[in-house]
Amino acid sequence: MTAEAATAEPAAPAVRRGLPRLDRWGLLVLPLVGFLLAVLVWPLTAVLLRSFTDPEPGVENYLAFFHSPVYLDVLVNTFVTAGLVTLVTLLLGFPYSYLMTLASPFWRGVLMLAVLVPFWTSLLVRTFAWVLILRDTGVVNELLPGPPVPLLRNLPGVLIGMVQVMLPFAVLPMYAAMRGIDRRLLQAAEGLGARPAFAFWRIYAPLAVPGVAASALLVFVSSLGFYVTPALLGGPKNIMIGELIVQQLSGVLRWGFASALAVILLVVTGGLLMLMSRLVDLRRLLGGAR
Amino acid sequence: MSDGGSVDVRGVVKRYRDTLALDDVTLHVPGGEFVTLLGASGSGKSTLLGVIAGFTEPTSGSVAVDGRDITKVPPYRRGLGMVFQHYALFPHMTVWDNVAFPLRRRRVRGDELRTRVEQALEVVGLGALAKRLPAQLSGGQQQRVALARAIVFRPRVLLMDEPLSALDKRLREQLQLEMKRLHRELGITFVFVTHDQEEALTMSDRIALLRDGRIVQAGTPEELYERPSSRYTAEFLGESNLFPGRDAGTVLVVRPEHLGVLPQGESLPQDHEAYDCDVREVVYLGSGLRVEVELRSGQRVVARTAARGPHVPKPGDSAIVHWHPETSVVVSDDE
Ligand SMILES: Nc1ncnc2c1ncn2[C@@H]1O[C@H](COP(=O)(O)OP(=O)(O)O)[C@@H](O)[C@H]1O
Ligand SMILES: [Mg+2]
Repeated sequence: MTAEAATAEPAAPAVRRGLPRLDRWGLLVLPLVGFLLAVLVWPLTAVLLRSFTDPEPGVENYLAFFHSPVYLDVLVNTFVTAGLVTLVTLLLGFPYSYLMTLASPFWRGVLMLAVLVPFWTSLLVRTFAWVLILRDTGVVNELLPGPPVPLLRNLPGVLIGMVQVMLPFAVLPMYAAMRGIDRRLLQAAEGLGARPAFAFWRIYAPLAVPGVAASALLVFVSSLGFYVTPALLGGPKNIMIGELIVQQLSGVLRWGFASALAVILLVVTGGLLMLMSRLVDLRRLLGGAR
Repeated sequence: MSDGGSVDVRGVVKRYRDTLALDDVTLHVPGGEFVTLLGASGSGKSTLLGVIAGFTEPTSGSVAVDGRDITKVPPYRRGLGMVFQHYALFPHMTVWDNVAFPLRRRRVRGDELRTRVEQALEVVGLGALAKRLPAQLSGGQQQRVALARAIVFRPRVLLMDEPLSALDKRLREQLQLEMKRLHRELGITFVFVTHDQEEALTMSDRIALLRDGRIVQAGTPEELYERPSSRYTAEFLGESNLFPGRDAGTVLVVRPEHLGVLPQGESLPQDHEAYDCDVREVVYLGSGLRVEVELRSGQRVVARTAARGPHVPKPGDSAIVHWHPETSVVVSDDE
């Protein structure tokens, strides 16, 4: 085949870049902008202001946080727990999502339902159910031989409870991404000499990365804000920052300090996301334009 | 100088839950030939190709390449090249890495890897696009990359499942020629699947016509066109006119180019068979005329005649349609 032959047909057009042009339809986003201003920007501003003004103007609230190792421990514990939850959720969610792409429509429905049903149950009810299941005289320890394994008031308890809550958030984006992967590519790879496991690793897995990363992000950021589950299933060492904020708000009424905690959580999370976006293209993970 | 492997399919049956996709298929593909599996959609072409490639496990029967039974060999050890209608390029790899993929699986490295990838891209005329991603190529270019990827590891057999069906007509015709040239240059066996009879006739050394999971007839394009064994073959390939046969269960096939149309009253050439008819439509094709006539029975018959001559038929003429018996073929009526 000659070079002329190859260039005779035009190449696919380049992807259009830049902002979409605004026209009258653009006005339709105004209600959403208003809503965001009312429920997000304004309260956030209020929280930010309060953290610097309550009980008196200054940076007292922030100094208090950084002076006590207890509070720093809580912050570190929050991120470590969220990281572990993300890891375990992905390890469980990835094969589960993959299985969903292979299953027949009927079994796919069953698997989907199994993920979603807990999703529709009250968080409080689910968490108390875990207490009943995991306590020393609970179902799990009844079935296990020997002395009861401590599964409550510790990290495993928190992980079990949080992973179950986060599983749908991991499975849904991953399944969506995997469904879009052409399985015939695996066949092509095998035809070209790749063993099935190699084909999966080199062809399928890279194509699933955006879905996995989107899931990881969603699970990690959501996990940072948990407080009911760690409060009920965790022990004194497993306090997360959300729990601390509630304590300060409704327990000791230190609204300014609670606001400062919220701001710190926000800033550290934002910083981490920025760091991540330098490593990977976040917009691509979230399905934005290429 | 045949570098092509022979392929032998013996008694292959493939049953899906309620369909018999292949019903006892036996096919011999001599090394180095260009063989086309032709058939309507759903006739089992892809299933047969999948059985040869190893993607589809036959319910019974065997497949051999160069006499070696490979029925139980997984696809990644068969070493056959494969091109799909949907290209199946790896979207996250550049053109270069796509083509290098089968070589890397075979532990080809360094200079040899580079030379062979470049050669393969040269052969399909895409050397300049090596750094692109598949999404940045047109359909025709993507299929060329797929072709390069399928031949770069020098398979002895290349399997192609409707590789040109997704392309527009002009590009398809161009690639048909390029594939013929590639077949000549490489000397390897091509097993090509298409539903397009014209494509099959122009490209193949041999055609196997499939219908409902069975091979109806296999032979050279000429054999299938000139000496169809059944009405199905005659009607599938090219245009044909059917007349009642002498024996029950048979029909007489006459190709349009073998029919003549004379005005009523003209004397027939010796020994010719003929029917009275009325001329209904005359279309000028440049190379000749396409004349559609209606027999007394109401049947429509198509003839191709010269555009010049003493008797150019016009619509409405009373005429005689005639042919030499040797140009007609008696076939079984399998409709
Ligand atoms: N995986 C499958 N499961 C069930 N039936 C199938 C499957 N693959 C093919 N078939 C059936 O087998 C027949 C032949 O299919 P195929 O080989 O794809 O035909 P072609 O390629 O000639 O269009 C069709 O009736 C098709 O519906
Ligand atoms: Mg097919």
